[in-house]
Amino acid sequence: MRLGGPPRGPCSGPSPAGPGRSPGRVQGCEKPQSRPGRTRPASPGPAAPSGVRGSPQPGRPASARRARPRTLPPFGTRLWSRRRPPSPEALGSAPRRPAPPRSSLRPPPPAARGAGRVEGAARGRAEARGEVLPGQRAGKMAAPMELFCWSGGWGLPSVDLDSLAVLTYARFTGAPLKVHKITNPWQSPSGTLPALRTSHGEVISVPHKIITHLRKEKYNADYDLSARQGADTLAFMSLLEEKLLPVLIHTFWVDTKNYVEVTRKWYAEAMPFPLNFFLPGRMQRQFMERLQLLGGKHRPENEEELEKELYQEARECLTLLSQRLGSQKFFFGDAPASLDAFVFSYLALLLQAKLPSGKLQAHLRGLQNLCAYCTHILSLYFPWDGAEVPPPHQTPVGPETEEEPYRRRNQILSVLAGLAAMAGYALLSGIVSIQRATPARAPGARSLSMAEEDEEE
Amino acid sequence: MQLLLLCRQGKKEKMERKAFLQMCNLPIKVVCRANAEYMSPSGKVPFIHVGNQVVSELGPIVQFVKAKGHSLSDGLDEVQKAEMKAYMELVNNMLLTAELYLQWCDEATVGEITHARYGSPYPWPLNHILAYQKQWEVKRKMKAIGWGNKTLDQVLEDVDQCCQALSQRLGTQPYFFNKQPTELDALVFGHLYTILTTQLTNDELSEKVKNYSNLLAFCRRIEQHYFEDRGKGSSSIKSS
Repeated sequence: MRLGGPPRGPCSGPSPAGPGRSPGRVQGCEKPQSRPGRTRPASPGPAAPSGVRGSPQPGRPASARRARPRTLPPFGTRLWSRRRPPSPEALGSAPRRPAPPRSSLRPPPPAARGAGRVEGAARGRAEARGEVLPGQRAGKMAAPMELFCWSGGWGLPSVDLDSLAVLTYARFTGAPLKVHKITNPWQSPSGTLPALRTSHGEVISVPHKIITHLRKEKYNADYDLSARQGADTLAFMSLLEEKLLPVLIHTFWVDTKNYVEVTRKWYAEAMPFPLNFFLPGRMQRQFMERLQLLGGKHRPENEEELEKELYQEARECLTLLSQRLGSQKFFFGDAPASLDAFVFSYLALLLQAKLPSGKLQAHLRGLQNLCAYCTHILSLYFPWDGAEVPPPHQTPVGPETEEEPYRRRNQILSVLAGLAAMAGYALLSGIVSIQRATPARAPGARSLSMAEEDEEE
Repeated sequence: MQLLLLCRQGKKEKMERKAFLQMCNLPIKVVCRANAEYMSPSGKVPFIHVGNQVVSELGPIVQFVKAKGHSLSDGLDEVQKAEMKAYMELVNNMLLTAELYLQWCDEATVGEITHARYGSPYPWPLNHILAYQKQWEVKRKMKAIGWGNKTLDQVLEDVDQCCQALSQRLGTQPYFFNKQPTELDALVFGHLYTILTTQLTNDELSEKVKNYSNLLAFCRRIEQHYFEDRGKGSSSIKSS
C-alpha cells in the first residue's frame, strides 16, 4: 500500500536537493512500514538505495516506542527491547548509508539521500513504530512539522540546550520533522529557537509544549512507562531544572572565561552579519537575568559563595542522576523516554563543549555511567554529529560540509564583488586607464600605469 | 534543645517545617513576629532559632537537624535518596510556584486576600507599597521561569499533574518510602495541608488535591499522628 505510495516520493525527491535544506531532515517515508513491515524493508527498495534497505532492521531496535505499537498485540513493546542489542552495530552501519549531502565519501545513491542520513535511521525507527493509520503523517496530509533549532557545534547536533532536548526526543520517537538548523533566531517563525511549526501552521516555542505536541501527534516516547515511572519523570525533570539548569547557564554564559572563549565565539562565528555583534551579548544578558531570578531563593550572598553553592548542588544532582541510572542503558530500562532526552541534552552539553574552566565537567567525567550513557546515545542517534563515529572521517566533515558550499560561495562572491567595485572605481575615476595598445601587455600596462599614477599622486 | 519556629503574623505558617520537626520528635515552639522576614537570614519565613543559630528554609533545616543527630532518611538507599530529592524538587517546582502564582498573579485572589493579608502588620501607606512591590517581584520571577503567560487553568492543570505524580508514587503505602516518614513526606504534607486549609476566592486548587483520595488520607494520617496526638490544636483538615 504505502510501499509504492507517495511517502517515498518525498524521500527520494526533494531530499537530495540539499542546498537550501538542512541536513537534519527526517522524512517519514518509511513510516508506513511497521512491524508487519519486517518483510517490507525490501519494499522501499525501488526508490531507495540498496544500502537503505539495511536500515529498517537496525533502526528498529533503536526506536523508541510509540503509541502505535499498542494496536499490534503480537509485536509488543518488549519486542523492541529484545531487538535492541543489535542496534549499536546495526545503526553503526546506518550512517554509512545516508551520507551528508556534500560528502563524496558515500556511493551515489546514499548521496542522493542527502538529508537522508537522518532519514535512514529515522526510517528504521519509523518502521518499528507500528502500523500507520491512514490519516497519519506518512501521507503528509498537511505540511510536515518543521523544527527550527540552533545548529550544531562542539560535536553535538545542536549547541542550545532546549534545541538539543527537542531534537533528541524527535530522534527517539522518529517523528517526521523537517529540521532547519539555523543560526539566526530571527529567521525562526517565533523569533526564538527552538520553534516548531506544526502541520496546521501554528508555532510553538516552549520546549515542553513542543514535546507535548509531539506526544499528541502520537510520537510518544513515554508510552510504555508505568504510572510510577511517569511520576518519576516529572520529578527528575524538576530536579534537573532546579539544580542543573542554573549551573549550565552559569557555566556557558556567566563564567567569563567560558563565555568569551567558547560560547560567544561560537555564536559570533555562526550568526550572520550584523547579528553577531549584538545578539550574543543580548542573549547573555537575558540568561544572566534568568539566572538571577531563578536563583532568587538562594541567599543573596556575594558572587563566589553563590557560585560555590550552585556548583555544589549541581554536583550533588549529577551524583543523584548517576545513582538513579545505575547500570541501565536508559533511565527506564531499555528504551529511551523523554526524561532521557532532557538528561542527555544537559549532560552532552557539559561533556562535549571544550570549556576552559569546567569544574562541573571534571566531576561529570568522574561519573562513568553518565559518560557512557551520553556517548551511547550520541553514537546511536546522532552518529554523524557524535564524537564516536564508526567512520571517523565523517564527523568533522559532516556538519561543516553542509554549510561549506554556502560559506565558500559567499566568500568568493564577496571577494569578487569587492574586486569588481575597486576596479570599477579605479577605472571610472581615471586612476587606471586601460591601453589597448598591446592586448598581451594590457594587464601589464595597466598595472604599470597604476603604479605610475600612484607615484605621481 | 528548644527550637523556636518563627513565622510571620498573618501569613499561613509553613506546615512542612513544622511537620518535619515534629516527625523528628523535636520540641518546638511557634512564635509569630511581624518582622520575621527580616530576621531570617535568607529573607524567607519561617525559620528556626536554636540557641544562637538561625536556620531558614527546609533544606538547611534538614541538614542542621541531621548534624545534630536526627535524620529521617538514613534508612534509604542511594536510588531512593535520589528519588526523594527529585520529588522534593518537583513539589517545590510545581506546588510552590502554583501557590505563589495563585497568591500573587491571580487578580481575584490578590485583590481580596493577599494584599490585605500581606500588608496587615503595616500602617498605611506602607501596606500598599510593600504589597505591590512583592507582587511585582513575584510576577517577574514567574516570567523568568516561563509561568508568566500561563493562565489560571494551565496552572491548575500543572498542579493536577503534580498531584497525580505524587499520588502514583504514594500508591497505597502509608508514607512515600517504606513505613517511615521522610523529609519528602513532611514537605508534601506541608504543601497539601496549606492548599487544603487556606481559604481562597476559588476552591479549585483544593478541589484538585481532593481528587486524589490517597493524598487526602495521607494528610489526615500525618495530621492525626503528629499534630493531634501531641495535643497541639492546630486547625484540622476539614472533611471534604
